[in-house]
Amino acid sequence: MRRRTRLVSTAVAIAVVGGLAACGDSGSSAPTLTWYINPDDGGQAQIAQECTEAAGGAYSIETSVLPRDASSQREQLARRLAAKDSSIDLMSLDPPFIPELAEPGFLAPVPDDVKERVTQDVVAGALAGATWKDELVTVPFWANTQLLWYRKSVAAAAGLDMTQPVTWDQIIDAVRTQDVYLAVQGAKAESLTVWINALVASAGGEIVVNPTADAEHIELGLESDAGREAARIIGTIGKEGLGGPGLPTEDENAGLSVFQGDKGSFMVNWPFVWSATKAGVEDGTLTQALLDDIGWALYPRVDAGAPPGTPYGGINLGVGAFSKHTDLAYEAAECIVTPEHQAYYFSTNGNPASNTAAYSDAAVLEAYPMAPVIRDSLELAVPRPQTPYYNDVSIGLQETWHPPSSVDPDSTPQRSTDFITAVLRGERLL
Amino acid sequence: MSTDATRERGRHRDPGATDAERQAKAAHSDRTRAEARLGWYLAGPAFVIMLAVTLYPILQAFYDSLFRYRLTTPDDKAFIWFENYWVILRDGLFWQSVGVTLFITVVTVIVELILGFALALVMHRAIRRLRGLLRTAILVPYGIITVVSAFAWFYAFDINSGYVNHWFDWVPGISPDLNWFAQTGTSLFVIIASEIWKTTPFISLLLLSGLAQVPTDLEEAAEVDGATAWQRFQRVIIPNMKAAIMVAVLFRALDAFRIFDNVFIMTNGANGTTVLSLLAYKTSIGRLEIGLGSAISVLLFLCVILICWIAIKLFKVDLASARGE
Amino acid sequence: MTGTLTGRQRFWWAVITVLVLLWALFPVVSIFATSFKLPSQLNLGLFWPKTWTTSNYEQILVGDAKTLFLSALRNSIGISLIATAIAVVLATLAAYAIGRLDFPGKRLILTAALGVSIFPAISIVTPLFNLWRNIGLYDTWLGLIIPYLSLTLPISIWTLAAFFRQIPWELEQAAQVDGATSWQAFRKAIVPLAAPGVFTTALIAFFIAWNDFVYGISLTSTDRARPVPAALAFFTGASQFEEPTGAISAAAVVVTIPVVILVLLFQRQIVAGLTQGAVKG
Repeated sequence: MRRRTRLVSTAVAIAVVGGLAACGDSGSSAPTLTWYINPDDGGQAQIAQECTEAAGGAYSIETSVLPRDASSQREQLARRLAAKDSSIDLMSLDPPFIPELAEPGFLAPVPDDVKERVTQDVVAGALAGATWKDELVTVPFWANTQLLWYRKSVAAAAGLDMTQPVTWDQIIDAVRTQDVYLAVQGAKAESLTVWINALVASAGGEIVVNPTADAEHIELGLESDAGREAARIIGTIGKEGLGGPGLPTEDENAGLSVFQGDKGSFMVNWPFVWSATKAGVEDGTLTQALLDDIGWALYPRVDAGAPPGTPYGGINLGVGAFSKHTDLAYEAAECIVTPEHQAYYFSTNGNPASNTAAYSDAAVLEAYPMAPVIRDSLELAVPRPQTPYYNDVSIGLQETWHPPSSVDPDSTPQRSTDFITAVLRGERLL
Repeated sequence: MSTDATRERGRHRDPGATDAERQAKAAHSDRTRAEARLGWYLAGPAFVIMLAVTLYPILQAFYDSLFRYRLTTPDDKAFIWFENYWVILRDGLFWQSVGVTLFITVVTVIVELILGFALALVMHRAIRRLRGLLRTAILVPYGIITVVSAFAWFYAFDINSGYVNHWFDWVPGISPDLNWFAQTGTSLFVIIASEIWKTTPFISLLLLSGLAQVPTDLEEAAEVDGATAWQRFQRVIIPNMKAAIMVAVLFRALDAFRIFDNVFIMTNGANGTTVLSLLAYKTSIGRLEIGLGSAISVLLFLCVILICWIAIKLFKVDLASARGE
Repeated sequence: MTGTLTGRQRFWWAVITVLVLLWALFPVVSIFATSFKLPSQLNLGLFWPKTWTTSNYEQILVGDAKTLFLSALRNSIGISLIATAIAVVLATLAAYAIGRLDFPGKRLILTAALGVSIFPAISIVTPLFNLWRNIGLYDTWLGLIIPYLSLTLPISIWTLAAFFRQIPWELEQAAQVDGATSWQAFRKAIVPLAAPGVFTTALIAFFIAWNDFVYGISLTSTDRARPVPAALAFFTGASQFEEPTGAISAAAVVVTIPVVILVLLFQRQIVAGLTQGAVKG
């Protein structure tokens, strides 16, 4: 702990000397930076405290929590930023919503020197997610990705060799023959978009062809082989009931329950499932045997010959354009995203680091033995469509691809393209 | 408590009644003016605040509804007359949510009227010892936060955390595999159940006050004449309570038409359960489409006015009776 | 109906009472049971917890969610009480004028109250949001108190007007004959008589303000003013993907306790208020 603090304070000291020596002695009381955080297990509050201490009085960070789901977080921030709210200094941003905030200039530009420092050793997926129109607009903090989790017993019974890449079709076959449930996120929520995007990307396509276009001219790439392939997989799982009866309301948490249950088999999900299952074993609700039966691999492929486009999530740090202390806020952001803090956050809160240096941390490897796979997956990660109209695109997808049993490769891609295009042109309600 | 005295006074006050009053008019005019001034001094603040917090925003909403205005693209703001309304009124989703809202309104009001009547009768007839207990129990749902009620019902029926499926798996159609929140019908069932649970006490209390106004002697006379309980109910109680029933129905219908909390918590509009309030919320707050959202808000407001107008003109609901006049 | 009951009647009343109690209290007991479940034991399909735990209460009262929940609780109580107090004071004055004085516009005020009470909150949330952020009321107590008045004022005026109609105003006249002004007569003779009605109205208004959700989620964004119903959406499990079922249930139980206490203590007054004094005993 002490070692980490010293490292951090050294880093901050360098930053302070670099730019803001004058600011330090002019203000008698240090400015308080407000950091809007997504709810977590207390990790961000802890990091805020450490950075406040490390700043040696240059600033202090106060956290303010946002709602649990990503779209509500975006609502709150977008509304406040549209009102030119100066109290937003730092924000924990879900990457897909970054373009919407970057486009109207709600995010303070990242200084060049900061840009250089915070992009070192950062995984490709996280860099892509922090960028808008080829410009880094946020600081990568942590980067999430989904893995394929499987019950070793089921995979063995189905005769799947999990050391080799597996495809969705192989998994579907295994689930069919073993009479078990496949855990995927079929609820009408952001997690459904994550799934669709990963499938389309894995099949070599993209949901939005020209994400930087304005609302009238956005073109969707769903009416393609990739879009149809994604619809085929989702439709098959839905129609054949392979996901179980809970599929239409199954979010990440419900998926985990299915996976832990008697009919659990395969699951695509974020790494939190590992710590949650371990906690269940400690509570005495789940057995050690279950934990021992769990294996992990890279996200399934759509095309046996091509690596998957894995889901990408996580949080980047944005600095509010109307903040009175954008310079200090960037300083604080740099402190927050040090590899040490990322490693701490990973091992304690289960949120994987965007910086590759954190993956060699002993505590991380101890808590998450699958960390190397996570890192590999992040290198393959494909962000969801980076357009200022992401919210409309995502909800439009959820509107037309839900419930999974209604998804049909021949009609759904076209229907959702027509619908989303009409919504973006202001011709339809959402 | 008798109200005869006040009634009497009220009648005397009716303008332009007797000669004596006309004579005294000159002397009274000062006093009348003073009374009017005092009346407005006392009632004015409440009146002004009520109008300020509703009239101004709805006018603003109407003004906003004439624009294409998205909060995150402020530069594209443009005046487009009634185009937003045109878009909404042509949209299937809008009409679907009108339909769902009406369905919820009709079902909840009918069920609540029956349940509420039963509860009102129970409270009315209960012996003194039970009365306090029954009233307390019935008032608990009334006082509970709607959001809490929504969560309670949601968790009970949810396929993962719920127990309803396990308890009622002997009922045809219910099994541990039934996902209540995956289909329109079953989702609406739970939403409506929560709404009914939470708001039946209100309707039953309004009906209770109506019951208290049914003359006891009439009822007793009917009983002496050998009328069965059902006949007494049909011939004596119902006709005497017509006004109270109508008012209770109107108030509940208007309230149910604005349903939001239960749907927001349980399905957030999935499986075709989007109601009008939720559509307005999602459009203006969720999508930040201020113009389009305001137009839906204005339409929702007009629907409420329309229901009120229909009730008053067509069904002759006498709102004065709601005030016990 | 106060006489002794036959055995048969006794039996049926017992059945009815049990049924009513079940119907009215079951969902409350249900969420109460859920609030004592361990996160990992939520999916067992059981009504009662397998092992009882207070960890959910610890989370919201002393743990991670402490600031979130306790400040929301403070906001909810403060905002609801102030909105209730203002509404009751203004409504008392207005209802007195309506019940007691003759002046043009009486009906207009009652009609306006009715109109406001049927007003869809969702319709005015967006304009209020825009106005509030322009004049600095967004995310403040006052910014919620003002719209809450649109919920609490109309019902307060109606309930109190009904109460005041039953007050023997002769007393006031007597006071006025004794040389008191209208105001003095109101204060000395009527206020004590009206107090029970005012109290009941306050209870009802408080329940309504306490219940609000739409304004709470739309007009706040931080701990400064966020009320409890809105705060429930901010809870989280051990990670952002885990459902905070336990924490939400525990918070729901905590905010239901005051309601149950008020109802237990004042059921007679609340019933009388909602039925406008028309109920016996």
